[in-house]
Amino acid sequence: MSRIFVTGMGSISAIGNSVTENHKALLKGKCGIGPLEMFPTRYASLLPFGEIKLTNTFLQEKLQAHEPELTRTTLLALHAFEEAIADAQLSPQLLKSFDTALIGATTVGGMCLTDELYRDANKTENGSAYLSSYDCASVNMYLQKRYGINGIINTINTACSSSANAILYGARLIKNGWAERAIVGGVDSLAKFTINGFNSLHILSPDICTPFDEQRKGLNLGEAAAFLVLEKEEAVAGKRCYAELTGYCNTNDAFHASSLSEEGDGPYLSMKGALDMAGILPEAVSFINAHGTGTENNDLSESRAMMRLFGNVPAFASTKSNTGHTLGAAGAIEAVYSILNLAHQEVYASLNFKQPIEATGLQPVQSYTKMPLEHVMSNSFGFGGNCASLIFSALNEIKSKK
Amino acid sequence: MLYIHQASCISPQQTFAAVEIDQLREAVNNKLQVIEPSYDGIPSGILRRMGKAIRIGVGTALPLIKENNTSIDGIIIGTANGGMEDCIKFLNQIIDYNEGLLTPTNFVQSTTNAVAAQIGLLSANKSYNTTHVHRGLAFENALLDAGMLLKENAVANYLVGGVDEISAYNYNIEFLDGWYKKEPIAAADLYISHTIASIAGEGAAMFFVNNDNTNATAKVTGLQFLHTEDEQLVAEQLNLFLEKYLPAGEKIDLLLSGENGDSRLIKYYNACENVLNKQVPVARFKHMTGEYPTSSAAALWLACFILKGQWMPQHMLKYTLVPSNFNRVLIHNSYKGQQHSFMMVEKAVV
Repeated sequence: MSRIFVTGMGSISAIGNSVTENHKALLKGKCGIGPLEMFPTRYASLLPFGEIKLTNTFLQEKLQAHEPELTRTTLLALHAFEEAIADAQLSPQLLKSFDTALIGATTVGGMCLTDELYRDANKTENGSAYLSSYDCASVNMYLQKRYGINGIINTINTACSSSANAILYGARLIKNGWAERAIVGGVDSLAKFTINGFNSLHILSPDICTPFDEQRKGLNLGEAAAFLVLEKEEAVAGKRCYAELTGYCNTNDAFHASSLSEEGDGPYLSMKGALDMAGILPEAVSFINAHGTGTENNDLSESRAMMRLFGNVPAFASTKSNTGHTLGAAGAIEAVYSILNLAHQEVYASLNFKQPIEATGLQPVQSYTKMPLEHVMSNSFGFGGNCASLIFSALNEIKSKK
Repeated sequence: MLYIHQASCISPQQTFAAVEIDQLREAVNNKLQVIEPSYDGIPSGILRRMGKAIRIGVGTALPLIKENNTSIDGIIIGTANGGMEDCIKFLNQIIDYNEGLLTPTNFVQSTTNAVAAQIGLLSANKSYNTTHVHRGLAFENALLDAGMLLKENAVANYLVGGVDEISAYNYNIEFLDGWYKKEPIAAADLYISHTIASIAGEGAAMFFVNNDNTNATAKVTGLQFLHTEDEQLVAEQLNLFLEKYLPAGEKIDLLLSGENGDSRLIKYYNACENVLNKQVPVARFKHMTGEYPTSSAAALWLACFILKGQWMPQHMLKYTLVPSNFNRVLIHNSYKGQQHSFMMVEKAVV
């Protein structure tokens, strides 16, 4: 089976509208979390959010995407998708090829239009322009149509691990011969629906989140989109590559619908499975982009799982302190950040950390640090116990394989 | 690609437990709603909180889990909408109570991955667990996922299935969008209606699959799907599919067609029928299941049932041509004229 390389990236989040802008923001330790401005909700000024400060009108103009049914979720996805395919220099012909796959993930899809959906779902005449835009698939259906993509198209929703699963599904399509290249990633936009959903679970922090801190109060919701272009070894000769995707694993915690088991069995198994696939020992992992949402439950379970697997836990951080928790986009945008770690041999500070969790004593990286990185792990854990871990490896690194 | 060992289906027809599909159960108000069993295997406290999609998804999976729980290495579900009823119930609360204090039950049940998650939870299964939600190809992607997993892990077993529900809400949305007929119609008259749109349906079908042909019910030998609105391209792809998956000198005994009475979609079904030899009998299933994004999972269950029993009800036949025996069934489905799929299903050779 082929080795899989990343040849293109695109991302948009509360800390930047491109991969370059996201990188600059990470270097500076920028936090994009603050008051909500783009749509009305009673929580706009009560809770902080990782919002992208671009209006839908601006995005429509910039992207030349004026179809009346387009939602913010689709616009954000399109923004990141266009950056990724330009970065990988995928031609329009290549996009139309029957062996180019598109695998996207989202949890909210077109439900960002919460009020419109309310109206359309509760009446039987005069529907809005968004009738076919509410489901998760609508995002990739649009991208497919816009670019005439003929290969395998899929949408995955495993809650907060969705786009990590999109990445591993795309890699597997290539390895199994169903595609030559795959554009993989995810998107979610802020929505009244998710804000109220997470709020009903009492896991939204009234302050800016503090992942892995003893005093953490919960997560901040954010919005983002990110795509990677994956290609197989045989196709990347002479192409610029960022990193190799060497390991991935999907597991289930099988404990509770909306929280992780105390010992983090699902996270432990997904991290271990990714290590096994990459063929590396735990000590070969240089850095972990943790799921680190800032909730009481996640950070403790994830810490315990890391301690159980690694013994000496490697350097780790949560970029959710920069972007907020971007749900279905989190796995993809954090994959981009993990690849930036590798490409620049540096790690970015986990923000707002003060005091280690008493039960674990673990401390995330708290300042920008240059360090040699061989293998970076990225974790994504979601409702329904859906866990996924990815391992990206530096290009010249094969000697640490066991 | 994979062998199907057990198949289970909750549908608007009597397909669960004691199967009896000769008598067609009719649609009510253009909706074909599932016959729900008593769900003896689900603890009542949990059952009460489950929305319909989760209930029928878990209920369909349970018999397969009971028989095979120790050896299920992954749970792979295709569902376009998951628990739509809970989703809109929660949304209605948000708006009606102006974002007041809400209970999270509907929210947690509304996430589309809740079916796979609940099956994993109830069977304490910590292995691979995923949910494909790509509308009319959600189940096809789930099946492809299972096929790939079986190439990656030769001795593993997987539970793969498709499920979607009709809720009052997604009925409204789909109706407004022109996908359900305005005029009342009997399911039996679906194919002679000559108007746009179809009737609403729902269902769940689950399969226990692996690479072992011993005692298998059926095998899926080919799978392909594509996005286009061009019926010629669909026909071209069917030709390529047959070149790849129909061995030279072999024949297809039955085309199981996803025809749904929508005058706008008949061109896709005609184009594919025309690709096949005129001697190939054609059967239809949407008068039994109604139209919904993962109806192809129910079609696969029907194909298994037909291959196993070497029999099918007369009401499924499109022409008078009756197949003499069933060794190979081709399933063709077109969802909303945008998403098209082919599945080749064969009798497992013992």
